[in-house]
Amino acid sequence: MTQAVQLLIIGISLGGVYALMASGLTLIFGVMRIVNIAHAALMITAAYASYWAFRLYHIDPIVSILISMPTMFVLGMLIYKLFFQRIIDSPRIGELTVLLTFALALILEGILGYFYTNIYRSTNPSYATRAILFDPFYLPQGQFYATLMSLVLIALLWAFLQYTKTGYSIRATMQNRTAAQVVGVNVNRVSMIAFSIGTALAGASGSMMTFLFTFYPGKHWEWVAILLSLIVLGGMGSLLGALVGSIMLAIASAYVSFRLGPTWSPITFFLALFLILLFRPQGLFGHKAEF
Amino acid sequence: MAKPPLTLKSPPGSRNKRLFIAGMLLVLLLIPFLRFVIDGFNYWLHMFLYIFMYIAMASSWNIIGGYTGYTSLGHNFFSATGAYFSGVLLVYFKISPFLTAPFAGLLALVLGLVFGLISLRTRGPAFIISTIALVLLVKISFDNWDYIGGANGLSLPLLDLDVSLVKIPYYYYMLFTAIAAVYTAYRIRHSKFGLGLRAISQDESKAEVAGIPTNTYKILAFAISGLYVGIAGAIWGYYSTYLQPKTLMAILVAAQLVLMTVLGGKGTVAGPVVGAIVFIAAEEYFVSALGSSELNIAAMGLLLAVVLLFFPEGIVGSLKSRGRLPHILDWD
Amino acid sequence: MALLELENVTAGYGHGPDILQDLSLTIEAGRSYCIIGPNGAGKSTLMRVICGLLHPRQGKVTYKGEVLNDMRTDEVLRRGISFVPQDRSLFPDMTVMENLRMGGFILSSRKDLHNRVEQVLQTFTILRERSSQRAKTLSGGEQQMLAIGRALVLNPEVIMLDEPSLGLAPKIARQIFEIVRQLKDLGMTVILVEQNARMGLESSDWGCVLDLGTNSFEGPADTVLNDPRIQELYLGKRRESRRESWK
Repeated sequence: MTQAVQLLIIGISLGGVYALMASGLTLIFGVMRIVNIAHAALMITAAYASYWAFRLYHIDPIVSILISMPTMFVLGMLIYKLFFQRIIDSPRIGELTVLLTFALALILEGILGYFYTNIYRSTNPSYATRAILFDPFYLPQGQFYATLMSLVLIALLWAFLQYTKTGYSIRATMQNRTAAQVVGVNVNRVSMIAFSIGTALAGASGSMMTFLFTFYPGKHWEWVAILLSLIVLGGMGSLLGALVGSIMLAIASAYVSFRLGPTWSPITFFLALFLILLFRPQGLFGHKAEF
Repeated sequence: MAKPPLTLKSPPGSRNKRLFIAGMLLVLLLIPFLRFVIDGFNYWLHMFLYIFMYIAMASSWNIIGGYTGYTSLGHNFFSATGAYFSGVLLVYFKISPFLTAPFAGLLALVLGLVFGLISLRTRGPAFIISTIALVLLVKISFDNWDYIGGANGLSLPLLDLDVSLVKIPYYYYMLFTAIAAVYTAYRIRHSKFGLGLRAISQDESKAEVAGIPTNTYKILAFAISGLYVGIAGAIWGYYSTYLQPKTLMAILVAAQLVLMTVLGGKGTVAGPVVGAIVFIAAEEYFVSALGSSELNIAAMGLLLAVVLLFFPEGIVGSLKSRGRLPHILDWD
Repeated sequence: MALLELENVTAGYGHGPDILQDLSLTIEAGRSYCIIGPNGAGKSTLMRVICGLLHPRQGKVTYKGEVLNDMRTDEVLRRGISFVPQDRSLFPDMTVMENLRMGGFILSSRKDLHNRVEQVLQTFTILRERSSQRAKTLSGGEQQMLAIGRALVLNPEVIMLDEPSLGLAPKIARQIFEIVRQLKDLGMTVILVEQNARMGLESSDWGCVLDLGTNSFEGPADTVLNDPRIQELYLGKRRESRRESWK
């Protein structure tokens, strides 16, 4: 029993970070109908930025979110302009952009690998190795801070979508692209904003990734598959789904990791992905959308 | 819009084409004999073999990814299982992969049927994601499977032949696999089945309404596209003498298949062949000019992006729509 | 001078074929138009071209002497042309109120927006009753009313409706056509695309027949309605298209 509760604590305290990673991806899918295969590569890019900020200037990884988010936002805008602007209205955008973002992921991986090699990296701020104890349970401090920060960012995103005019236009585009166009929403601009916000969120999660996990350039393939399984479980395009899916799978993987050893824990996500595709392709909160 | 050809007969002028293809094949068959004339010939044999492997795999990928329009980023699942199947039989039972490779292909076909049954229930992005997940799933399983060597891999003995001759059997085996794969892709392209697949890629709902058993067709296409990839994987594994999940199931291998096919022209018969040759030649040039580094990965990504954005029809497709495609390369 | 004029317009999607070919059409202020024609004739495409969702490949679209060709939809909206697309394109997870407020998305003043939405709610009282319900929970007829109401928030001079009766029961469809007639009485110029040719023509002043991307025939609505060619070609299919709309 104690063990089960402990696993639940570990699971939930990682789930928030997974949710932050997945929220950017699901936002981009919701607005643009594209699956951003490069999402995790963007995370790793930000992770390197935070890693060097920590190593060279002793900037705390959580603090460096203040740098990584705006930087990644601008990078997102650039990527949108270069890659997506000219094809956003193409009827085959779904298939085309999967390959395009795949290409983007390769470009990022190659450049990072060239400069920083394939050495495993991580940062070690003081809280990374400490734990909060409340007998008989413990809560890793780094995970706790990261999840707290993630939940704050997700709440901010939610409030932004719910209460601002731009937020309205993003939600309108997600719900019905034609209707949004007809009332005068510039969906092209909205797509760019959504993509940039998604990239900025990838940046924030990348910064926190540095003290939670080890990383190297090629690691993003595993991550993107994990993230995709999270948003497929929740229903692609649904923020609530991303949150719930992340926490469920984080708990499940904590359990698998405990039973079978940490090398098996990623398999939780991929197996879950197949089971969802098999029994409920639209996910927990998804519509029966064209997919 | 170009109408699909209504006749399945060869168009006029196909005699030249046949002569060209027969000539090419004859040359390829005779190439190994050049080694009695030229020194350092093993390098060229290696390059040819490598190209044949990718021709076989890209042509097969084209059946599901090009004709049917279902992009698979997990096709190295087939080559890896093929390689391990024949590799394990060689190491533990001393059966030559030359004998077991066809069965490795059949295994890939069956696995393709099973996986297709599950993941072809989805379309578009969800399907693509499921193929990536498949490769990662199998990679983790193989990493933890001690019988087949786990993450450390499995070493295979090479054919017991003189070093100057040893590449030749692999060369022929791979050549015939490539020929069979391209011929299969060609036959499918010119069959009712192929027409059905292309209808699916154009508009699946309409294809279904038109009476095409879309589900069966898709699953069959996926399975068939696994067949020669499995065979090529088995031979390549034997040839490279070392199997490791990390290298065999690197996403990069799948990326190359996609890239070659897109580069050459998705959905055309000649596209994957042209794409594989051009791509490997370019890669070889870059490696020799710039040295082998991670930048190659970035260059590959850049190439893929440029092709997708500016020449989405690929070399063969673009030339064809401009009416500039040499007749001998028009195999559609 | 004509209010809205299309001169030799050619248009199509992406790299696809031309859907509209050399189409010319003149829309006079204060009239209501019904555009009929077979499937694939380019009726919806015509509307997308006017409201800036699709830019013409050739030709010219002018509104009050201003060229609309390369304008974005929000710019066209600002000039007083609103569009109600097919399938009632609503925001399904937003409330009726939020949908109406989205109708005034391009307005910058909150007060203006509030007043305009109030005005629309006075016209469509049923929408006020439903104002806090999500749009996807409305019935088909109510959804169509909401879509029209949303377009009216901007108080447009020209309103274009793409098959407003699609998928509605005949009784509800008649109510919608009644609303369409009222729009014209309010002084708006109405452009209506309809499969249901008879009902569409009966509630309009002028009829245009679009075939294969060109304007093949036009005239006063009752003339079009009674023209033997039209009777044979389109109205004979009336039952059929009705039945389709039952599904």
